[in-house]
Amino acid sequence: MNLKFEEFQKSNLGLKELDNIRIKSFKKFEIQGFPTKKQEHWKYTDLKNIITNNFQNLQIFNGSKNLVYNNKLIIKNFEHNKIILLNGSFIESSFIYEDEKKIIIKSLKSILENKNDFNKIKEYFDDDQNSMLSLNHALTNDGVVLDIENNYSFNKPLVVYNFFDKTAENKIINNKIFISLGDKSNLCMIDFYRCENNIKYFNNTIHNYTIKKNATLKKYNINDSLDNSYNYNSVKIKSYSNSVFENFLLSLGPNLIKNEIHCNLLENYSSCFINGIMLLDGSQHHELKTNVNHKYENCKSSQLIKSVLLDKSNGTYQGKIYVDKKAQKTNGYQLSKALILSENSAFNSKPELEIYADDVKCSHGSTTGNIDENSIFYLMSRGLTKDQANKMIVEGFLNEVIETITDPNVKILISSLFNERINKVNV
Amino acid sequence: MLDIKNLNASIEGKKILKNFNLNIKPGEVHAIMGPNGSGKSTLANVLSGRKGYEIEGTVYYEGKNLLEIPIEERAQKGIFLAFQYPIEIPGVNTNNFLKTSLNTIRKFRGLKELDSLDFLKLVKEKSKKLKIEEKILSRQLNVGFSGGEKKKNEILQMSILEPKLVILDETDSGLDIDALRIVSEGVNSLRDKNRSFLIITHYQRLLNYIKPDFVHVLVNGKIVKTGFSDLAQELEKDGYEGVSIAK
Ligand SMILES: Nc1ncnc2c1ncn2[C@@H]1O[C@H](COP(=O)(O)OP(=O)(O)O)[C@@H](O)[C@H]1O
Ligand SMILES: [Mg+2]
Repeated sequence: MNLKFEEFQKSNLGLKELDNIRIKSFKKFEIQGFPTKKQEHWKYTDLKNIITNNFQNLQIFNGSKNLVYNNKLIIKNFEHNKIILLNGSFIESSFIYEDEKKIIIKSLKSILENKNDFNKIKEYFDDDQNSMLSLNHALTNDGVVLDIENNYSFNKPLVVYNFFDKTAENKIINNKIFISLGDKSNLCMIDFYRCENNIKYFNNTIHNYTIKKNATLKKYNINDSLDNSYNYNSVKIKSYSNSVFENFLLSLGPNLIKNEIHCNLLENYSSCFINGIMLLDGSQHHELKTNVNHKYENCKSSQLIKSVLLDKSNGTYQGKIYVDKKAQKTNGYQLSKALILSENSAFNSKPELEIYADDVKCSHGSTTGNIDENSIFYLMSRGLTKDQANKMIVEGFLNEVIETITDPNVKILISSLFNERINKVNV
Repeated sequence: MLDIKNLNASIEGKKILKNFNLNIKPGEVHAIMGPNGSGKSTLANVLSGRKGYEIEGTVYYEGKNLLEIPIEERAQKGIFLAFQYPIEIPGVNTNNFLKTSLNTIRKFRGLKELDSLDFLKLVKEKSKKLKIEEKILSRQLNVGFSGGEKKKNEILQMSILEPKLVILDETDSGLDIDALRIVSEGVNSLRDKNRSFLIITHYQRLLNYIKPDFVHVLVNGKIVKTGFSDLAQELEKDGYEGVSIAK
């Protein structure tokens, strides 16, 4: 692996401070390299191995001249606001359903060029928990910074389109997304990924969200496509009092996804809900790693992950609930259920509770198994073929999580994408 | 319609049905009564094609070797088993399931598949006739249903799928009198000269509502006595032991 950092660095010279951060961060990355299974939190996803096996000559993506995206990839019959990213770079946005005065949107590129703006976000370049984050700090040159003012509720969902085109081929793309929701504001947002022609690339993204008092952020990750892509997403959330963070992950498409969600419940009565489904076949490898940190009293968190594994696929859910000694009256819940439909597939589940307060209600559970024979017999005794019966059971199993989606229009959208996918899968 | 000869069935080396014989003609209603563990559910399972049994003997259904017909085809050819313990299947909508089932069966019979509208009309009509609340059909299949609701759901499925041979496995067990009435009205309304019933029960009670043509007593995997419907009353009085000794 030979990432040509100097070349990249020279063509991206800018604020001195940023230049230094890039150099320092890339050094950190070079010392550690891509994470391997020897590292904590990477036991089930040996990234170094995956990259070596799948990329002969991975190169740094250094912006593209192409600013034209394929309009056909926009979701139809679904009223929504848009942010469009092409190969990680900000292209355009439209908020036609909203009061645009309440919304400040800037490209990360413009912020990285302005000393004052950069100062406001530079603390986020310190996080060096793993080498992918360091790599991201070194190589990010674009993304989005979105600020929603106090007391503003979106009328329609916001879709963040993450498009990729052939210039991304064999490249590693690094970007960052910042979202800040003011007091009592509401946003429902979809991270939507599309790529034409099955291009192979690696996308390394860091999201930082701030959810202020009484605000609600609903976030949906739709990964139903991008079959040949490799993705690492690290999401960090700061939740203030009475705020709500809801995250649903539809994890169906890419070859590799490692999603990390670190949610920090910092003040009274904030809550975090992480639900998701994985339906994997071929040699897909998906991991969800969550870290829900209860740092204050009376906060609530809940996680429900259901997975179905076929062929040689590999799924992992590492869910951790951490309860600080201050965080009395915490309510924490997590459940993982997986169906393994092929003996060559595997599912790893590692639920973790780390509790330092004494007055808490926390529970976790995890089951992994096959489709129940009695259920198959029941359906077949009503005339369904074995395939139909299997499919119906798998669909039902996963549908239970889709049913938890609280935004009705998004639920319809996700259901239809899920149905499209499951009809292609050979269960 | 159904001709069972010298049927032996074992599971995990344990013999359950022993030289079992039964012949059911079109339009006939047969009741099988027997104590717990006598092999009633095993018989129902073998007839509907459940895997896991070692089977000897012959079973002919409409002149064909039933034992060679795959499970789903038995259903498509008109065999319906109302389960003693209907299975809960989370996330599967009861209406969707039933529509898929009906349409596979209709397709097999060369009938036009029903679209959602026609299907819902049919369901409405049937559930109204059977006095079964339609509500249960929008819920997940049997999930969280009470015992009675599960059994009513089986009966509703039966009346929608219009099978030729109906096997009821202790559908009456655990039902209150109202539910029992619904079940038996469902059965009685389907009775006709071409449709046959095999009613498995533990108690004589159901047979007050559904009058069988024949009653068989199954003890320890064998039919020990066959008679007409008055045999059921006799059993109620004397118990199964009385019958086996009398034999
Ligand atoms: N899967 C099985 N494995 C072992 N024994 C079984 C199994 N299923 C049923 N049996 C045994 O077979 C006998 C008959 O069972 P069953 O047909 O369910 O009786 P019934 O329905 O008349 O109560 C019982 O002794 C039961 O314990
Ligand atoms: Mg039984």
